[in-house]
Amino acid sequence: MLALRDIRKAFGSTVAVEGLSLEVRQGEVFGLLGPNGAGKSTTIGIATGLLAPDAGSVDLLGLGSPTNPRVRMHLGLAPQEITLYGELTARENLLFLADLYGLAGAKTRVDELLALVELDTRADERTAAFSGGMKRRLNLAAALVHDPQLVLLDEPTAGVDPQSRNRILELVRTLAARGKTIVYTTHYMEEAAKICDRVGIVDHGRMLDVGTVAELIARHGGNSTVTVERDGAEVRVVTADPVAEVARQFASGGVTGVRIDRADLESVFLALTGRSLRE
Amino acid sequence: MRAILSIAKKDLRLMFRDKGDVFFTFVFPMLMAVLFGFVFGGQGGGSKITLALVNESGSKVAASLADDLVKDESFEVTRAETRDAAIAAVRAGKAAAAVVLPASIEEGAGAMFGGGGMEIDCIIDPTRRAEAGLIQGKLNELAFRQFPRMMADPAQSKRMFDQMRASIESSKDLSPGQKLAGAALAAAGESFSRSLSPETAAGAGTDASAGGFSPVQVKLEELPKRKGGPRSSFDVSTPVGMVWGIAGCVGAFAASLVIERSRGTLARLRLAPISRMHLLAGKGLACFITALLVQALLILLAVAGFRCTIAQPAMLAAGCTMAAFGFTGLAMLIAGLCKTEAEANGAGRGALLVLALIGGGTIPLFFMPPVLQTLSYASPFRWAVLAIEGPFWRDLPVSEQFAPLAVLLAIGVGGFVIGARLGALREAR
Repeated sequence: MLALRDIRKAFGSTVAVEGLSLEVRQGEVFGLLGPNGAGKSTTIGIATGLLAPDAGSVDLLGLGSPTNPRVRMHLGLAPQEITLYGELTARENLLFLADLYGLAGAKTRVDELLALVELDTRADERTAAFSGGMKRRLNLAAALVHDPQLVLLDEPTAGVDPQSRNRILELVRTLAARGKTIVYTTHYMEEAAKICDRVGIVDHGRMLDVGTVAELIARHGGNSTVTVERDGAEVRVVTADPVAEVARQFASGGVTGVRIDRADLESVFLALTGRSLRE
Repeated sequence: MRAILSIAKKDLRLMFRDKGDVFFTFVFPMLMAVLFGFVFGGQGGGSKITLALVNESGSKVAASLADDLVKDESFEVTRAETRDAAIAAVRAGKAAAAVVLPASIEEGAGAMFGGGGMEIDCIIDPTRRAEAGLIQGKLNELAFRQFPRMMADPAQSKRMFDQMRASIESSKDLSPGQKLAGAALAAAGESFSRSLSPETAAGAGTDASAGGFSPVQVKLEELPKRKGGPRSSFDVSTPVGMVWGIAGCVGAFAASLVIERSRGTLARLRLAPISRMHLLAGKGLACFITALLVQALLILLAVAGFRCTIAQPAMLAAGCTMAAFGFTGLAMLIAGLCKTEAEANGAGRGALLVLALIGGGTIPLFFMPPVLQTLSYASPFRWAVLAIEGPFWRDLPVSEQFAPLAVLLAIGVGGFVIGARLGALREAR
């Protein structure tokens, strides 16, 4: 579906992306996980054809580079910034974009999208008055106006409350269920773990590893920690097989509590980069 | 073309929903045109009409009429030594009209029953035509006010009735009976005038106009229009308002392009299957349409509101179109030069203000000192003002109007090309 090969991009003396390659498969939700400044947005910019790479190549659907407007038509982008016109209503924003793409039946399509992002009751209000979460949802709807096959969502939950975040994640699942291929960038490992079929870990402009969450944990997460409470004291045991360890502890008796801390994407990132995602 | 129109429609909608942009593009230029029109014309709603008064007669009646004119609250009277000096004051715009009380005024007053009457000359500025009726009416009223005084003056009264008797006696149209009746009327009138005292005359008021004779003749004359001169102060202020309107429009659209870039909406637009040139053309079209609209609005105001006339409508349309085109290019250039919204709204609009000031946006070019006139060549506003003034009121030969049109065309093309290139460089960063 989307292939980036050996991409390099520098802004002056700052190298944003260095030798990055990735392949997104048809129908999957692919997560690009990395801290702020890792090069995720630059990668998205190159994937959409908005930024020209200094080296490397991009191919979309086997049609060639998305710098070609005809190829670019097959992708939709919800940028990290809210790219809406505050003085236009939600409906006017979407109709304008539909007009740019020359869509037939634009009004019906816009009504469908407004219903999908649950803004149909606020469709004729100016977006400047919307909450952050509503703007994020409309920003996402704007990426879907022309019904693209590939949807790139750049930090779509940035700056929204937990309730709005859940609604956006639910929307992404709905899109995936409808067969859309999604590239989802985030620095929230919980989001990546929840909705992504595969995740690419990015840092300092390099792709460190790609795989399913389970594969990444298995490769880099290390052992689980079993914490056992006995006679008011806690004992921690690091083990590759936490279930067997719990069974062994219960068999020896006197256990009043037990907790298993499994390795997660945070552990993976720590193992790959030597620092935390939140640093 | 569909995409260009969509972008233009969206930008126009955004502009008309921004109260600040609407004010600076439409309301402010109209205020400028109207206020400068009044300032240049010296016309204020409640101000007095300025007159240059010449008394060529040494008579009492002329002196009395002159005093009444000076005292009248409708007028601000400046006395001039000669008729030419008074007319020069009108030409210089210092007075709306020259009022001349000729040497023959006393003779005319004496002959009022013999087909004559007091003659007053009034030479009016053609740009102040609207005030001519008021001046004429007032002069009639003040002249009539002199009659009770004339009747109460025994010498003046005697001269008047002597002339009346002589006129009746020498008439070939009257029968002997009619001549006798006329002589009797003159005798009765003379007897009546002798019975008047100055006190009763002073209170006689202004209702002395009854009767079928014509004792006052105000001769109105309009100064000839000067070729190439403004016919009204609004001729001068309208192009000024128009360039301010275009400046407001340029400021708004340059800022809108920078805002699109800085807020990321431009990236969204560029993802659509349209080229960069489509995008810029759409934004440029919105700017161009708005610039034409504000110019049309100001011309309509000048023609319908202030009775300005357009010397060369077709050339004015060409001038307005080229001014809109040139300034659309300027908007693109400013958008390319400015990195942030703050730069576009601050430095961009500030630069426009300076260019407008030196280019005839406030003080008309022909009022400017030579140094500023030379500087003004660097301002696109100069060329826009010239492109509009030429066909609007200067009535210049068409061949003389090509230079400003060509300069505006060059500014438009150059601004568009350089602005587009600078914008592309910024977006690549």
